Amino acid sequence: MTVTVLAGNPNTGKSSLFNTLTGSYEYVGNWAGVTVEKKVGTLKAGKGSLIDLPGLYSLNPLSHDEEVASRFLMSEPFDSILNVVDASQLERNLNLTVQLLEYGKPLLLALNMMDVAKQNGLVIDTQRLSELLGVQVVPVVARSGKGSDQVLEAITDHAPGTALEPYSIWYGDTLEKAVAELIGQMPQGTASPRWMAVQFFEGNSVVRTSLESKMDSAWLQRLYQTAEEAVRSEFGVRTLSQYMRKQRAEHIQGLLAHCVRHTKEGHLTFSERIDRIVTDKYLGIPIFLLFMYLTFKLTFEWIGSPLSDLLDAFINGPLRDGTTWLLDSIGAQDFIKALIFDGIFAGVGGVLVFVPQIFILFLIISFIEDSGYMARIASVMDRLMELVGLNGKTFIPMIIGFGCNVPGIMAARTIEQPKERLLTIILTPLMSCSARLSVYSLFVGIFFKSNQALVVLSLYVLGVVLALVLAKLFSSTILKQQESMFVVELPPYRIPQWKTLSRSTWEKGKGFVRKAGTFIFGGSVLIWLLSYMGPHGWNVPMDQSFLAKIGGLIGQVLTPLGFGTWQAGAALITGFLAKEVVVSTMNIIYAAPDTAALQGLLAGHFTPLQAYSFMAFILLYVPCLATVGVIRKETMSARWTWFSVLYALVVAYVISYAIVLIGRALGYH
Amino acid sequence: MKLTEIELSLPVRIVDMACNNQLVCRRLNDLGIMEGTLVSIKKRLPFGGPITLEAGNQWISIRRCEALQILVEAV
Repeated sequence: MTVTVLAGNPNTGKSSLFNTLTGSYEYVGNWAGVTVEKKVGTLKAGKGSLIDLPGLYSLNPLSHDEEVASRFLMSEPFDSILNVVDASQLERNLNLTVQLLEYGKPLLLALNMMDVAKQNGLVIDTQRLSELLGVQVVPVVARSGKGSDQVLEAITDHAPGTALEPYSIWYGDTLEKAVAELIGQMPQGTASPRWMAVQFFEGNSVVRTSLESKMDSAWLQRLYQTAEEAVRSEFGVRTLSQYMRKQRAEHIQGLLAHCVRHTKEGHLTFSERIDRIVTDKYLGIPIFLLFMYLTFKLTFEWIGSPLSDLLDAFINGPLRDGTTWLLDSIGAQDFIKALIFDGIFAGVGGVLVFVPQIFILFLIISFIEDSGYMARIASVMDRLMELVGLNGKTFIPMIIGFGCNVPGIMAARTIEQPKERLLTIILTPLMSCSARLSVYSLFVGIFFKSNQALVVLSLYVLGVVLALVLAKLFSSTILKQQESMFVVELPPYRIPQWKTLSRSTWEKGKGFVRKAGTFIFGGSVLIWLLSYMGPHGWNVPMDQSFLAKIGGLIGQVLTPLGFGTWQAGAALITGFLAKEVVVSTMNIIYAAPDTAALQGLLAGHFTPLQAYSFMAFILLYVPCLATVGVIRKETMSARWTWFSVLYALVVAYVISYAIVLIGRALGYH
Repeated sequence: MKLTEIELSLPVRIVDMACNNQLVCRRLNDLGIMEGTLVSIKKRLPFGGPITLEAGNQWISIRRCEALQILVEAV
């Protein structure tokens, strides 16, 4: 079995290629020392596996994402690298390629987007490029799958272990002397010594840490400074890393002069025309808001809800009848029947009916990511985000957080500035995720029938506004910034491919389905048992059960917020497992056979104002268990994890209280 | 002159990347934008928002305050 690593710049069609080359794939848990999952696919020929790395511009990392990728390349075992290169941006992409070649592992170059390069008037002599770099070059169009067979063949035929003669660039006499000096001092047995030295002088923090563990760090620091000063006075550059990047650029330009011809001036008219509208001076933000509004319309009113109703009808019609027949025919006990219908059907079924809505939302988020609009949103929002101490890029995790907070928080890895990243991580849970959507769906269906989309949108806006206010508060108190950073590549617009879109939608949404089978299943059984048992024995009336006792304690604290019932209290405790469990709990507590019946019952227990206050509390009160877990992993700090739980509770209480007070003042009750 | 002062779509050459913010400078370098690169401005967002640069057929959005520190010359 050979292991191949897929590496390349962001937006080069890496995921498309990954999807065409692999039949199946899975996420494999943490690497040692790095708290990240890796995506491992099985190659179609079945002869090996392919590991997808985060996109990176250079082996010298700036963001956490890039650090993960370069750390992987340096320390994990693999046989060869499949480097995806955007042919229409060859010069920039080769910067990474050359660094990978210097590293010396066997490499295959997949030249993607040959069609775009051709449109832009670039003619690339792949044969010549292959000779110049000393590696095999395969032109591909990842979107259509063209050339993927050749890539597959080339990877699997590659005899593992045939290391290349490391590629070498001359960085000028002055620097080469320093490189030689460093190599001379390296301990015996250091792998890829020249590459290590080159990366050290370029300022690669991962390499530097690795060298410092084996060598005198004061000496290394002196060596670096001497080299930088020498280069500075000789060439008039500002930093060593700028100088080295320039040397490499000149080398690459030299290569390209031999194998690339420009036949005409390139045009970006399609993207340019779209951009003229969607990032317009005045229309940019309104268009974005309109887009979000349409998203909610699609999710709730136009497509999602009708599908949910169909699924509800199926679960509580044929499926329930079938199960009843089955249980009757095997003569099941009443206890088992109660467990299955009042516990599992109510709990799991009540959540599963929201799957269509959630998939529609994930589909739209995937569309935003794949089309290239995401980067524009970041750009349009940057000014506003800067005012609150963040940058436009931090808006991206927040939008992904609308789908699910967990991938949203992980997406914060692309934010280069550590404090901005931390702030984004602790604020992303305020984004209303799809699990909370199931709670809103339930409540707006009862209390706000005529303007469902608008009421739900108001909750999303509430989350965003609070995130902005708290960002301002935190960034000017506990998380003071040194320097903010915003550089975003605006990729050309592409019409997303159905295959990639459906795959990434499924990838995001399957967690929700899996949760229904695990967490929610277990939670439902537990909740039902707690409601079935009480201090005075089994099969007690619901309000004498353990669940009522526990929920009652919480309920007392919640009385000022307008929903101080034991039912609400119990739902909130269980909602920590996963927010959609709130729906399961309510189904079980109110012993509702289906969603319509539950809505009828809830109408008697809440007023519209209390319902709104309750929804706001659900939105804010505590990130769910999975989110708390990922906050812990990503921040690597128990303190910040506790902080994100506690501030959320305080904010939830204050906001819900304010809603009730304002509502009452306006004459609602 | 400063990068922010040029007309839309007029190509100019970078003569000095005097960014105070090293992170920004590094990232621009990664994207192949350095002294000697030809760039033009494609868009300015309102209220002092970011500007969109074009260099070698790629579009990059950076903040105005950083663009102010990049010096360019006419070609």
